[in-house]
Amino acid sequence: MSDRYFQHTFENGLVLLGEKMPGMKSVAMTLLVPAGVSSDPAGRVGVSVVLSDLVLRGAGQRDSRALTDHLDYLGLQRSSTVGVYHTRFGAAGVGDKVLEALPAYGDILLRPQLPDEGFDAAKDLSLQSLTGIDDDPRQKLLIKLREQYYPSPLGRNSMGIQGDIEALTVEETRKEHARRYVGSGAILAVAGDVDFDKYRLAVGKHLGQLRKSPVAELPRVSAAGGYKFEEQQSEQTHIGIAYPSIPETHADYYTVRMAVEVLSGGMSGRLFTEVREKRGLCYSVWAGYSSLQGMGSITGYAGTSNERAQATLDCFVGELHRLAEGVTEAELARAKTGLKSSLVMSGESTSGRAGALAHDWFTRGRLRGLEEIKAAIDAVSVDGVNAYLKANLPGPFTIVIVGPKPLKVPG
Amino acid sequence: MALAFRHHRLGNGLDVVGEINPDSHSFAAGFFVRTGSRDETAKINGVSHFLEHMMFKGSAKYTWEDVNRIFDELGARYNAFTSQEMTAYYANVLPEFTRATVEHLSHLLRPAIRQEDFDTEKKVILEEIAMYLDDPNHRLYERLMEEHFGKHPLAGSILGSAQSITDLTRDEMAGYFRGRYGPGNMVLSVTGRLDFDEVVGLAEEFCGDWETVKAPRVMGDPVIGAKTVEMTDAKLNRKYTMGMTRGPSAQDEKRFAAKVLQDVIGDAEGSRFYWALVDNAIAEEADFGFYPHDGCGSFYIALVTSPDRTEQAMEVAKREMERVKNDITEEEVERAKNKIASQLVLSGEIPSGRMRGMGGQWMYTGAYRSLEQDMATLRGLTAGSLKELMREYSFDPMTVVTLGP
Repeated sequence: MSDRYFQHTFENGLVLLGEKMPGMKSVAMTLLVPAGVSSDPAGRVGVSVVLSDLVLRGAGQRDSRALTDHLDYLGLQRSSTVGVYHTRFGAAGVGDKVLEALPAYGDILLRPQLPDEGFDAAKDLSLQSLTGIDDDPRQKLLIKLREQYYPSPLGRNSMGIQGDIEALTVEETRKEHARRYVGSGAILAVAGDVDFDKYRLAVGKHLGQLRKSPVAELPRVSAAGGYKFEEQQSEQTHIGIAYPSIPETHADYYTVRMAVEVLSGGMSGRLFTEVREKRGLCYSVWAGYSSLQGMGSITGYAGTSNERAQATLDCFVGELHRLAEGVTEAELARAKTGLKSSLVMSGESTSGRAGALAHDWFTRGRLRGLEEIKAAIDAVSVDGVNAYLKANLPGPFTIVIVGPKPLKVPG
Repeated sequence: MALAFRHHRLGNGLDVVGEINPDSHSFAAGFFVRTGSRDETAKINGVSHFLEHMMFKGSAKYTWEDVNRIFDELGARYNAFTSQEMTAYYANVLPEFTRATVEHLSHLLRPAIRQEDFDTEKKVILEEIAMYLDDPNHRLYERLMEEHFGKHPLAGSILGSAQSITDLTRDEMAGYFRGRYGPGNMVLSVTGRLDFDEVVGLAEEFCGDWETVKAPRVMGDPVIGAKTVEMTDAKLNRKYTMGMTRGPSAQDEKRFAAKVLQDVIGDAEGSRFYWALVDNAIAEEADFGFYPHDGCGSFYIALVTSPDRTEQAMEVAKREMERVKNDITEEEVERAKNKIASQLVLSGEIPSGRMRGMGGQWMYTGAYRSLEQDMATLRGLTAGSLKELMREYSFDPMTVVTLGP
């Protein structure tokens, strides 16, 4: 594994991860800064979002336009998003372009100009995107489901809270930058046509001055649960369901993943077959495993016409209960093939791998190779899955409905 | 070094095209059929898309449960799409499933269209139509196409309407299928780790007895006039604006310059629209893009704003489109070219990306272009190329449609 993978921790806590992928001409980078919406101060939820925009409006010697032109000239495809725990900067390009961009990313993290005018525009854009949520009932549903399932701060809308962003000042935003754009808890992962030594030197040089700071204790909360109805005169009723599961680090993690594949992996999955194929109740219906630090959950969605929404909810919940009765050998075999194939095929994307490296380090504190994961998948047995499902019945359910009429929660 | 390209035409006219990458870890295959909403009559509007669903419901040999089960047994990542002009059915698998995947895809292309499955799936299509009605961008786009293309076949909705789908019969669908889904009107595109001669052998085995079709397409230029249409929906918070104007076709030499122009004017970062509209928060989103079609094409703009800034945003957008015709710089063209070159390399590293690109290219031009060719063409473009493009396609007249409270 060591020829392909690389890991180095700098003195300031920043972790550099790398995967050399033979045959690739591109390099993709995932840079995680420990400034997620869950650590925004109460009353200023959304400052991390405004900051994620503002740090790109000029850094080091380059003003906003010069910085953008520089990164554009390197041909980099870029993104910046804020999640529960991190602000995530993504970049991908050909050959050494990501390496050449590291001084600029050092400026962005360490010396952003954070201009007043830029602040007003960044704030305005954040507020505008919040008003758009009501125009998209499915997006609204997924936001509300997280808010209902995870109490604050973990369930917070990662776009922020309107009143908090309105009250935000540029001075507060600058303080937050200084407080949270730090080395401890930061992760930089690169994958593709990578020379490890060059990256270690460059990252050390350009990001080495990030402040070391005590690693903030990540909050853990238990699922709040319950039922919530949000009235909206939409064409479809949007249904969200969530219930607790085990964290990724648990020994039974792949057992659960296999069960979820049987439920909703491919088109032969239980939900697609029963809700859509047989009954024609939905176009979009799915369930998946998702995780936060030390916590796992199963989350599901269905969008259905209003008159059929009750039937959809009943069928969906029915399938969750029926899964506990057990899966077959054939279903498990398909689940294994599906996940293993998916891993190999995702492994053909440099940006996919960069993201996976960062995720593995953040969640497990180590990197895993494809062979290890395949072996863990292969080790799952039908008896193991069925024993687990019997001993861990689904629920308690958190159910959120966005649509014109409330629904009855199935008993 | 360029990847090897091979082409073979079966006796019945089925084209098989392959780009071989021995370093790839997977195999990707797709059938592309030259048919879409533009080839439908108003009465059967939505049939191509509904048929896309029915392809997954089984052949003479398989039921829909078999189809789904087999794909999952192959560990396939698979999907299909229908546009105004083509419909495609494709899968990405590990190489050991090559034979089974070609066989299984070939079954998709010979659907049984059983009445019971047709009746059930009709409900799913109606759900999909309802889902898109909750999406203001989709509603606006459909209206834009209607207004912009008028009597031209590209005006029609891909999904169809709740009415046209409800009224559609199984026999109408079967008739449409027989006329268009055959060799002579389709291509099998394969990429990744593969042996081309083996794939040709499989195509012969599973598709060799398919009958050739002659599927004409109504061509001709759309008649476009300037117009503005407003739609209101009191439930919306934001206002959505879309505009469309003539652009190069999918066959036009100038389509490469049009892609660069798309980036210069409308990329999410560093473009004319970004600086003039998003950086200063006049608009939340401001896109400029290029839609090539068969024999004609469009440039489009899309704005998302709070309702009180829509007029201002539209004025600024128009002003930028006028300005850039004269003051476009070599530096901004260079930046755009560099970004597109990265996109080409990145999407080329995924076999399914190359498979889709190659299939689409073959549908429109009957030709193959390697990554190296695309890069060389890109490198040859200058600010002068884009100025020339904008002299021929001047963004005027434009159809504009808005949707807001």
